[in-house]
Amino acid sequence: MRQEIFSVGIDIGTSTTQLIFSKIIIENMANEYSVPRISIVGKEVIYRSAIYYTPLIGNREINAEEIRRIVTGEYRKAGFRPEDLSTGAVIITGETARKQNASEVLEALSSMAGDFVVATAGPDLESVLAARGAGTDAISRTQHLTAANVDIGGGTSNIAVFQEGNLIGTSCLDIGGRLIKVEKGKVSYIYERLQKLLEKQGIFIRAGDTADSSAIRKACEYMADHLCQSLNLKKRTPEHALFYTNQGTPIDGEIHLDALTFSGGVADCMGQEVEDEYIYGDIGPVLGKAIRTNPDFQKIRICEAQETIRATVVGAGTHTTTVSGSTISYSAGQLPIKNMPVLKISEGAEKSPRLVKEEIERRLPLYYPEGNAEQVAIALTADNYTGFKQIQELAEAILEGAKEIYGSGFPLVVVTENDIAKALGNTLRFMLGKETPVICLDSIFVNDGDYIDVGEPLVEGSVVPVVTKTLIFNN
Amino acid sequence: MNEKQIRELVEAVIKNMDESEIKRLAEEAGSGSKKTAGALQDDGMIPDIRQDDYTSYLEVENPANPTEFLRIKKQTDARIGLGRCGNRYRTKAYLRILADHAGSLDAVMSEAPEYLIEENHLFPVQTLCRDKDEYLSRPDLGRQFSDEMKESIKKSCTMDPDVQIIISEGLSSTAMERNTNDLLASLQQGLKLEGLSSGTPIYVKYSRVPAMDVITELTRAKITIMLIGERPGLSTYASLSAYMTYGGHVGMPEAGRNVVSNIHANGINPTEAGAHIAAVARKMMDQKASGTDLQLF
Repeated sequence: MRQEIFSVGIDIGTSTTQLIFSKIIIENMANEYSVPRISIVGKEVIYRSAIYYTPLIGNREINAEEIRRIVTGEYRKAGFRPEDLSTGAVIITGETARKQNASEVLEALSSMAGDFVVATAGPDLESVLAARGAGTDAISRTQHLTAANVDIGGGTSNIAVFQEGNLIGTSCLDIGGRLIKVEKGKVSYIYERLQKLLEKQGIFIRAGDTADSSAIRKACEYMADHLCQSLNLKKRTPEHALFYTNQGTPIDGEIHLDALTFSGGVADCMGQEVEDEYIYGDIGPVLGKAIRTNPDFQKIRICEAQETIRATVVGAGTHTTTVSGSTISYSAGQLPIKNMPVLKISEGAEKSPRLVKEEIERRLPLYYPEGNAEQVAIALTADNYTGFKQIQELAEAILEGAKEIYGSGFPLVVVTENDIAKALGNTLRFMLGKETPVICLDSIFVNDGDYIDVGEPLVEGSVVPVVTKTLIFNN
Repeated sequence: MNEKQIRELVEAVIKNMDESEIKRLAEEAGSGSKKTAGALQDDGMIPDIRQDDYTSYLEVENPANPTEFLRIKKQTDARIGLGRCGNRYRTKAYLRILADHAGSLDAVMSEAPEYLIEENHLFPVQTLCRDKDEYLSRPDLGRQFSDEMKESIKKSCTMDPDVQIIISEGLSSTAMERNTNDLLASLQQGLKLEGLSSGTPIYVKYSRVPAMDVITELTRAKITIMLIGERPGLSTYASLSAYMTYGGHVGMPEAGRNVVSNIHANGINPTEAGAHIAAVARKMMDQKASGTDLQLF
């Protein structure tokens, strides 16, 4: 048994827009005498698009029509139709996510790019995807290092830290190669917040000015210095907090890093000497040089990233999908289901079925922004529910607590960490009767507030692909 | 040395220790795992050393890379990384081997938990084996029934079911005791969901796997599922297997059977296994095949 599925990754970043197609290989790793254990055994990028400048209309809007043209063109060149794809992710990252029509563009793309391609954004996720694309998690795992990837794009620098391969922190700063644009010797754009921070340092750069190389160099050195501060390579100064995107927070000050990888467009600029510093119409090469020559960055081991400018899109295309456990239970014809918010039962409430029921009843209404019942996935570890009787009691509790969901015509979706989904799902289906659809999956590790997408069954219906959004866990 | 002698020896040793020695030993043992203790607990009981999860800690002195060693160690039940004293095991590891071995002997030698027959409404029958010794020494008798026994099966059991369930302690009464209730309940629920009728569940005393084929012929079941205790080993003595046939008959090749093995609390959870086995039965019914002829994917 072996099945190959195809996945797409689309990244619309501050400066560039890219696509990749990858092949994900799924295989049963258990022997003939066991219950199946179907896992992802290989991932391979099979097509990389050209790198396009993200098309904008003015500085406030994404050119949706142009994006559509790029995407359809690349699908054609790669020889893929939307229906060939089983999974994938479209993400709008960095400063582009702040554009007025970002969510409309995402939605339009997600429906045209394939039935199971999901729309995601958010700086934490972006940091993790870039780091996985760069291979930092693998470096951390195989070499037993605490390692961070710094993905320096056009508008933001995304940091993700791994210890023994496990994610321990993410962070996002407004530091990037296109926060200042230089065209024909003149500054054509500067990001407002950066401009104010620089002014406090006595560095004055305004749109329309003639590009002052010395000021721009100083500005880049200043940004490089704050990158050092964010990675605990240097003591943090009071104004450092102002660099974080959306008033985000830095990584834990106690984390001591052993190694770094750099990805993103600016990482490519770090290795090369360019004759014209403004060859890309921005400050990318100047920023790259400022980081390379920064004395604090000399103190730490720098490992080579597997992907640089394509790290985020490779991460989105190959590292978002997981598969469920191989013994699951679901009613036919309900999948895929996208964008399900997760209600995770707290550890304390899992102790008894009665508390499970009460917690579901109490918290479900919070998931109804319009006041009416909506599709919600109930999640629990189910670590203490393994016996048939225990599972029956748990099933009864879930059915009582979640009446509103299936009573309003939505399928009842339950996901667990512990490998009991087939027994639990069977019990739920048995109690509810055939008319009410039930989807019960295990080996799914999610947190409260996450969103999940569940795709169409694979491998003769043995497993389903699952994409967890906003937080991604390493198995 | 039998169990009684070991217990006497341990008690004699403990009696001769002074309080502080016992405390020190308890602390020492406690440093490996909280559940372990080499000495008496407050209630005067000697803790069960078989509850100690020896895969979770390392007792090698000065390991070069303890993190990696422990990661590898966690993958297996094998007794590695438990340290040594000269060229011997340490006392704790050695006692554990003895205890696990004793558990295995118990599993093989003790009689089946017969209260499960009533609890689960099983129809009890017995092969030609008269007692445990004969069962262990004569595998051929463990797959045959007397004519009277065959008649009573025909008379008392539902004929022509889609699925015939058979339960036997096989080589591990412990496996039958610990797994039957969860496994059977989950399997029966699964069969109902799959729309498969199930006949009178039968308990066979002193059974070998091919006894299922005789019963298949008697009840004319399409599918037969036998849940039978596995030969115990040192890592587990409570493991059960499910053997499954479609259109089974006496003398059929072993390649015609499917098996789901390793069903126990630390292997495949019996409740989940029951649900899985029901789904495999559905595939057998659809494909009219079992064993190597059955396409599971």
